[in-house]
Amino acid sequence: MRLLLATPLVVFWLAQQATAPASPPSRPDSARDSLLEARVGEVAASLRCPVCQNLSIQDSPSELAQDMKRIVREQLVRGATPDQVRQYFVARYGEWVLLEPPARGVNLTVWALPALVLVGGAVLVWAAVRRWVQPAPAAAGAPAPPPVADPGELLARRARLVSALEELEADFADTKVTAGDYDLLRQRDEAELRAVKAALKERPKRAAARPAPAAVRRSINPVVAWSLGVVAFGAVVALTLTRSVAPRAAGGTITGIDLSGGAAPDGGADGAEGGGAIAPVDTARLHVLEARVARDSNDHAALVELGHLYLSQQRLNRSAQVNMRAVRLKPDARESAEAFAHLGMILWNAGETDAGLQSLDKALELHPDFPEALLFKGIVLFAGKRDMAGATQAWERYLQVAPADANTARVRAMLEGARRAAGSSR
Amino acid sequence: MTWKRALIPLAAMPVIALLGFGLTRDARLVPSPLPGKSAPAFALSTLAGDSLRLSDLRGQVVLLNFWASWCLACIGEHPLLVAADRRWRDQGLRMVGVVYQDTRGNAAQWVRERGGDWPNVLDEGSRTAIEYGLFGVPETFFIDRRGRIVYKQIGPVSEQVLDTWIPRLLADSGPAVVSPAELQVGRSPGYLRTSPDFPATQGTTPRKP
Repeated sequence: MRLLLATPLVVFWLAQQATAPASPPSRPDSARDSLLEARVGEVAASLRCPVCQNLSIQDSPSELAQDMKRIVREQLVRGATPDQVRQYFVARYGEWVLLEPPARGVNLTVWALPALVLVGGAVLVWAAVRRWVQPAPAAAGAPAPPPVADPGELLARRARLVSALEELEADFADTKVTAGDYDLLRQRDEAELRAVKAALKERPKRAAARPAPAAVRRSINPVVAWSLGVVAFGAVVALTLTRSVAPRAAGGTITGIDLSGGAAPDGGADGAEGGGAIAPVDTARLHVLEARVARDSNDHAALVELGHLYLSQQRLNRSAQVNMRAVRLKPDARESAEAFAHLGMILWNAGETDAGLQSLDKALELHPDFPEALLFKGIVLFAGKRDMAGATQAWERYLQVAPADANTARVRAMLEGARRAAGSSR
Repeated sequence: MTWKRALIPLAAMPVIALLGFGLTRDARLVPSPLPGKSAPAFALSTLAGDSLRLSDLRGQVVLLNFWASWCLACIGEHPLLVAADRRWRDQGLRMVGVVYQDTRGNAAQWVRERGGDWPNVLDEGSRTAIEYGLFGVPETFFIDRRGRIVYKQIGPVSEQVLDTWIPRLLADSGPAVVSPAELQVGRSPGYLRTSPDFPATQGTTPRKP
């Protein structure tokens, strides 16, 4: 039982089960509203959030980004074109604020480079495949010899080299060339002459050994090679391009990984009953709520419900953010009890047991019989404080006020454990 | 034959030069289009409850300081602003604080604790902050007598920045003429950006605003 409680996963599972949030009636957006939202989203996605690293104001949860988004919406409603809205921000933040640099001036490099790299890659693949299907070289070895097969030409070259050497000697004798140049030229010509002589000696042997023309031997069927090249190039381009250009999937995170508390908590793997699974969350509902909060960052009910959903997904930072905003909006309202309860849980999870308890007490002060707060308080007292009496009291109250559901049996079992622990320590 | 071998280093050279040039630049500097332009107008209510319009201060040198009570770097720069106010107020310097993403109560308490009796206005919905292309707090705008922004300090001001700009702006009684080379944006080293969006910067217990 203690093991079970030590796994935050189970706690969140419980939290998720415990609160069937009083879903506020969702207002169905009119078609015009959603059209406007789409346009706002489009413009907002093209503007850089000033307080984050490389997030658009559409993606950023920061307050400044939300305020900027509100201005985008207002200007669009007033009839400004998306470009005029963008221009408004450029005039204040500079071109920096645009996530896509306009294609002119130095910025053109950014736009041209990918195309150049693409062409360069195609040329490389083309060259590689061409070399691949080319006839195998006639023979390996014989490093220097000029690749000339014609004996007549070889003989002519030999004669030319010999006379060139003689001329060089004469020039040197007449001091027409310096000693350094003489050595250099002489070495070069002599080396070539040696190679030509070697080739002349070699030729009859080679011709005898390989009567068939070596040129037709290919290492691979060219059709196969070319198709392989095209397929490889196409696959790489398709993979990288689609991944970098594709818009983010609905519900996907900005980074592609859920960094906001999605990592498995310690010991999470061993929770047999928890199953290790994060409770499934109604993503459609999540989007509706996110849109509502984006439209009106003071929508308290949406903030609280969003806080609950994020908590169920274990996105603790996000949950903390919206819950904080909710409690700041209405610090003393009964409706904020749930937000305080969420914060209590998050704080406890972050190791702030006392602060967590304080927040849970605040929730109970606002709403004395709020089931979620009672359940959480019991958990924090039991697991965090080892206060069995306190936990017992909280859970007993919970069983009295909460409607019977899947949690009831579980809480009964935990209550039993707390009572036993209290008895054994006495 | 040899020119082909030189091709690779030749092609690599501009790339290396470009990267090398990048190393000489300070990536934290964000050029702002605002210096040289006239300061966006605003009419906001002060912490004391009065209304303040920037246009009413035309003809005087204005130091517009964006700050918040949750901002740590603001605490550090505040004594410098108090000293500047004391030193130059009689010569026509007007300090105006703009409270950014904060509540009236928290801001008023912050001022009570730390001094400074110039007006501070509340910026609901960050509208004025966005008009001024604000990145974070603190940020300070130096506005000349003609109502033009001549300098923008991102991050806390330093004594040197104040000593450089304020006497020059005060001495300049007529039309402000500032050479384009001087229109620049500075950012102090060790600039500490804090955001109100993360609970960690606000203490771990949920606080009543």
